[in-house]
Amino acid sequence: MKKAFSYLSSYKLPMIIAFTLMLVELSVELSSPLIIARIIDDGIRVHNLQEISHWGIILIILAAISFAAGIMNSFLSAHVSQSFGYDLRQATFSKIQAFSFKNLNRFPTSSLITRLTNDVTQLQSIVHMSLRIGSRAPLLIIGSTVLAMLVDWKLSLILLLTMPILILFIVWITRKGVILFHRIQHRLDRVNNVMRENLTAMRLIKAFLRSDHEEDNFAQASMSLRDLTIYTLRLMQISGPVIMVVMNLSILVILWLGQIQIANQASSVGEVVAVINYATRTMHSISMMSFILLAFSRAQASKDRINDVLTEEIDLIEGDQTIDHIKPTQHQLVFDHVSFSYPNKEALILNKINLQVNQGETIAVIGATGSGKTTLFQLIPRLYDPTAGEILFNGQPLQALKLKNLREKIGYVPQEARLFSGTVMENIRWGKPKATDEEIIEAAKAAQIHDTIMKQAEQYQTMIGQRGVNFSGGQKQRLSIARALIRKPEILLLDDSTSALDLQTEAKILAAIKSLSCTTFIITQKITSLLEADQIILLEDGEVSARGDHHTLLKTSSLYQQIYQSQYGEEVNENA
Amino acid sequence: MPRGPRIHQAERAEPQEPLLAIKRIWTYLSRSKWTIILTLFFVSIDVILRLVAPFLLGYAIDHFLIETDPIGLIRLIILLALVYLVNAFASWFQYFLMVGITQKTIYRMREDLFAKLHRLPIRFFDQAQHGDLMSRLTNDLETVSQTLNDSVIQLFSSVLSLIGTLVFMIYLSPILTLVTLTIVPFLYFGMKWITKRTRAYFRKQQQHLGDLNGYIEEIIAGQSVVKIFSKEERVISDFEEKNADLKTSGYYAQAYSGFIPKLMNGLNNISFALIAFVGGVLALNDVVTVGVIVTFTQYSRQFTRPLNNLANQFNHLLAAIAGAERVFEILDIPDEKEIVDGDHWQKIDGEIHFDHVSFAYDEDEDTIIDLSLYANPGETIAIVGPTGAGKTTIINLLCRFYDPDEGVITIDDCDITNTTRETLRKQISFVLQDPFLFNGTIKENIRYGDLNATDQDIVNAAKLANADQFISKLPNGYDTILSQEGGGISQGQKQLISIARALLADPNILILDEATSSIDTVTELKIQDALSTLMKGRTSVVIAHRLNTIQQADRIFVMKDGQVVENGTHQSLLEKKGFYYELYNGHFEDNVG
Repeated sequence: MKKAFSYLSSYKLPMIIAFTLMLVELSVELSSPLIIARIIDDGIRVHNLQEISHWGIILIILAAISFAAGIMNSFLSAHVSQSFGYDLRQATFSKIQAFSFKNLNRFPTSSLITRLTNDVTQLQSIVHMSLRIGSRAPLLIIGSTVLAMLVDWKLSLILLLTMPILILFIVWITRKGVILFHRIQHRLDRVNNVMRENLTAMRLIKAFLRSDHEEDNFAQASMSLRDLTIYTLRLMQISGPVIMVVMNLSILVILWLGQIQIANQASSVGEVVAVINYATRTMHSISMMSFILLAFSRAQASKDRINDVLTEEIDLIEGDQTIDHIKPTQHQLVFDHVSFSYPNKEALILNKINLQVNQGETIAVIGATGSGKTTLFQLIPRLYDPTAGEILFNGQPLQALKLKNLREKIGYVPQEARLFSGTVMENIRWGKPKATDEEIIEAAKAAQIHDTIMKQAEQYQTMIGQRGVNFSGGQKQRLSIARALIRKPEILLLDDSTSALDLQTEAKILAAIKSLSCTTFIITQKITSLLEADQIILLEDGEVSARGDHHTLLKTSSLYQQIYQSQYGEEVNENA
Repeated sequence: MPRGPRIHQAERAEPQEPLLAIKRIWTYLSRSKWTIILTLFFVSIDVILRLVAPFLLGYAIDHFLIETDPIGLIRLIILLALVYLVNAFASWFQYFLMVGITQKTIYRMREDLFAKLHRLPIRFFDQAQHGDLMSRLTNDLETVSQTLNDSVIQLFSSVLSLIGTLVFMIYLSPILTLVTLTIVPFLYFGMKWITKRTRAYFRKQQQHLGDLNGYIEEIIAGQSVVKIFSKEERVISDFEEKNADLKTSGYYAQAYSGFIPKLMNGLNNISFALIAFVGGVLALNDVVTVGVIVTFTQYSRQFTRPLNNLANQFNHLLAAIAGAERVFEILDIPDEKEIVDGDHWQKIDGEIHFDHVSFAYDEDEDTIIDLSLYANPGETIAIVGPTGAGKTTIINLLCRFYDPDEGVITIDDCDITNTTRETLRKQISFVLQDPFLFNGTIKENIRYGDLNATDQDIVNAAKLANADQFISKLPNGYDTILSQEGGGISQGQKQLISIARALLADPNILILDEATSSIDTVTELKIQDALSTLMKGRTSVVIAHRLNTIQQADRIFVMKDGQVVENGTHQSLLEKKGFYYELYNGHFEDNVG
C-alpha cells in the first residue's frame, strides 16, 4: 500500500528542477558578500573604477538571474505541491470508499474529515515549503558559515561556536512552543464550548435562573485561557532577541579580531566586511528555523494520520454468486445462531439470534435502545459481518454472493434520513440510476411525498442542500423511502422510518409497500405499525425474548401487553 | 419561528465603518493607556537603536579598521555591545507589554459579550442563526485577538522605522538614498499586479475548498447510504471533479503569491547591487566611505522590510476590523427590559389565568387570538391540538420568554408582568422536548434544579423519576459525564434525568412539553410513570401527546389556529363529538388488532 509521501515520486523531475533553481538563488545570495569584498578590496581601496563597474554589473546580472530562477521555482513548487495534494486527496478518499464498516468503525467521522482536509493541506504546505524556504534557510546557514570560513577561518571560528548553540536553543524553544500552543487550543475549545452551550440552552438557563452560575463558569475558563496565552506568547518572544544578541555580539568579536588581522596584514578590510555580512545574513535565517521546525512537526503528525488511513487493511470477503441464479428455498432469509460484537469490544450486541423469514413476509422488530435492532439490519446488506453464526439467503451464505449484487436487491431506509446535495429527482434516482422519470414519480407517490414535491416551486428539480435542508424531518423520511422503493427490492429494511409521520400517512405507505410484495423488515415503536406484521420480534439485550404475531404476543408477553396498553389506553381485550 | 430584524450577515472581509470600529476598539485598549504609552516608548527605542547600530558599525569600519586603532575600537565595541543589549531588551519588552494589553482587552471583550448574551431577550435567540452567532463569538474574536497582538506594534514600528531609516540614509548620503528609493515604484506596481491576481485566485480557492469540504462531510457522514446503494465509484468521480477544481485554483493562487517574496528579494538584491556599484564609484571620488556603503546595505534591508510588513498588515487589519464590527453589533443590541421595583412573591398556590390573550411573533401572522384558559391550584391541564396551533406559544408566554400583545396572564391573581422575570421563574420548573443536559456529570445536571441540594436529595429525586435504576448500573454511576454525542445514554434516559432535575426544583408550577420523539417503549413506560409522580400536587400545564396524560388531565384545552375551540375532560369532550373527537379518532386506524 502506498504511503503518503510516495505520491511525490511522480514529480521527481519538477522537484529536482525546482530544487536546482532554489540553489541558484541561494548561490547568488551567498556570492554577493564575496563580490562586495572584491569591490572594496580590488576597487575602492585601489581606486580601480573598472573593477567596480565590472563587479557591479555582475551583481546586477546575478540579481536578475536569481529573480528569474525564483519566479520559475514559484511556478514549479506550486505545481508539485498542488498536484501532490490532489493525488493524496484522491487516494485517501478512494481508500475510504473501499473501507468496510469494520474499517470505518476505527475512525470517528470527524477525524476522517479532518484527515482529508487539514492533514492533506499540512502535507501539501510542507512540500511547498521544502522546495523553497524550507531547504533554503538551513542551506544558507551552512553555506554562509562555510564561505565565511573560506574567506578567513580565524575570524569565522566564533560562528562555529554560536551557530550550534543557537540552533539548539531554537529546537528547545520550538518544542516547548508546540506543547504550550496545544494546551492553549484546548482551553480555547473549552471557552468556545461554554459559549455554544449557553447559546443553545439559553431558555433553560433563564428558566432555572442560572445566569450567574454560568457567568462564573465562563469567567474561570476565560481567565485561565488568558493567563496561559500571556505566559506562552511572552516566552516565545524571547527567541528573537536572544538570536539578535548572540549574533550581534559575535559580530563584535569578528570586528575586534578583524582589527588584529588587518593590523597583521593577515586579512583585508573587504574580507572582514564579508565575514560580517555572512554573519548578518544567517541571523535572519536562524529566526526562520523556528517557524520551519514547527511546520515539520505538524506535518509529521499529519503524515501519520494519513498513513493510518492509507495502510488500513481491508478484509471484505465476497463470493461471485449472483442472486438471480439462486433457486428460492423454503426460507428466503435465515439467521443461524448469529452473534455480533463491534471490533475490539467485548459486549455482545446480538447473541445467538435465530430467524426464519419467508419471501414476502413482513417482520417487525421492537425493543429498547441498544437492544441490537439497527445492528440486525446492518448485517443483512453486509455492512457488518456476524462474529459468529451465518446468515443465509435462499440457502446460500451471504458471503458467497457478489456484494454489489446483494446490495442492489436491498432497499435500506436508515433511521436518520440522509439525502445529498442535488435535485429531488437525483436523490430518488440514487436508488436506481437508470430509472425513468415515470418510475421516479411512481416511487414518490408510493412514499406519499409526490404531492409535497409538486407543491415546491421547482417540483422535482428542487435543490436539496446538505442533509436536505429545506424539508422537514417527515418529508425527508419519505424521500428516503421513495429512494429505497424505486429499486423494487427483494428485501426492504425500514429503520424507524415512519417515526415523524402521522398515522394516516404511515398506513398509506405501509399499504403501498405491501403491494410490492417484497420481504419487509421494519423497526418501529408504534403498535399500529406492527398490527399487520407476519412476525414480530421482541429484542432484549441482543436476544429474541418473544416472537409471534400481534395476537400471540398480546397473549403471551407481559411487556408487549404493557406497551400496547400505554399506546391504546384501554384494557387489553384478550378475545379480540 | 419567524424572522426578525437581521444583523449583518456572514463572512465579510471588509469593514463597513472602519473608523467607528477602531474608535470602539480604542475604548477597550485605552483602559491600559499608560501601558500602551510605555510600550510605544520601547518601540521607539528599539527602532532608534536598530538605526544607530549599523551606523556605528560603519563608523567602526571607517575609523578603526581601515586605519587600525585598537583603543578607539574597544571603546566603540563596548558602546555597540550596550546598544545591542538594550535593543534586545527593548525588542522583547515591547512585546511583553503588548501581549498583556491585548490579551486583557480580548478577555474583557469576551466577558462583555458573554454577559450581554444573558441580558438579551429570548426573541433574539429564536431569530438569530446559531452558526453566524457562534462565528462572531469565536472566530471573529480570535481574528481580532491575533491581529491586535501583532499589528499595533508592527504598525507603529514600521512607520517609525521607515521614517527613521530615511532620515539616517539622507544624512549619510543623499545620492545613495535616491538609488535605494528607485526600487519603490517597482515594488508598488509589482505588488499591485500580484495582489490583483492573488486576491481573485484566493477567493476562488476558498470557494472550491468550501465545496470540497462540504462534499466530503456529506459523503462521509452518509457513508452507509453510499454503500447500500453501491455508489462508491460515482462518488469518487464526483470527488475527482471538485478535487481538480481545487488543484487549479490552488496552483494559481500559490504560484502568484509565491512571487511576493521573490519580488522583495529580487528588488533587495538589485538595490544591493546598485548601492555597491554607485557607492563604489562615489567612494572612488571620496564622496562616501566604505563604512557608509556597509551601513547602507544594512539600511536598505531595513527599508524594504517595513514596507512589506505594512502591505501584509493592511489586509489583516481590515479583516480584524471587520471582525470587531461584527462583535460590536452584538454588544449594541438592546437589553431585555426588566421592571425595577416589582412585586415580591412568597408562597404561591399556583392558580393560573390567561385572560383574552393575543400574541403574534411576526406582524403579519397572528399566533394566538383572544385566548383564555385557566388552571386551579394543583390541577393538571392538557393543551392539545395539531402542529402550529399555538401550544408552545402558551408556554413561552407563561414563562415570559415573550409578552402578550393584548390581554393579561395572572398567577394567583397577580399580573405576571408586575414582577421580575426572576421572581416568576423561581416558581416554575420545566420538562421540555429537548432535555438540555450539559457537559457535566449526571449529578451536576440534576443539581441544576437546586444548587443547594445535597447528594442524598439528588438520589431521592432520581429515584422518584425512575432514573436511579439505570444510573446506578452505569460504570461511573452519578459521576458519569454526559457528553454531546450521547455517551451511551438514550434519549429516553435523558428525559428521565431532566424529570429528576424538575423534581429537585420542587416547583409549584410545572410546565411539561411532551414530544413525539422516538423513545424506546420500555423507557417510555418509565417516563409516563415518573411524570405522574411529578405532576402530583402541582399545577401542571402540559402540551400533551401521550394518551395517558390526556386522559388523566383535569381539564383539556383543545386548540386550533391560535384559539381554544373546546375544553373539558376527556370523557365530556368525546361525548361532544366535536374537533377533539375527530383528533382522537384520527389517532388510531382502528381500535382493535
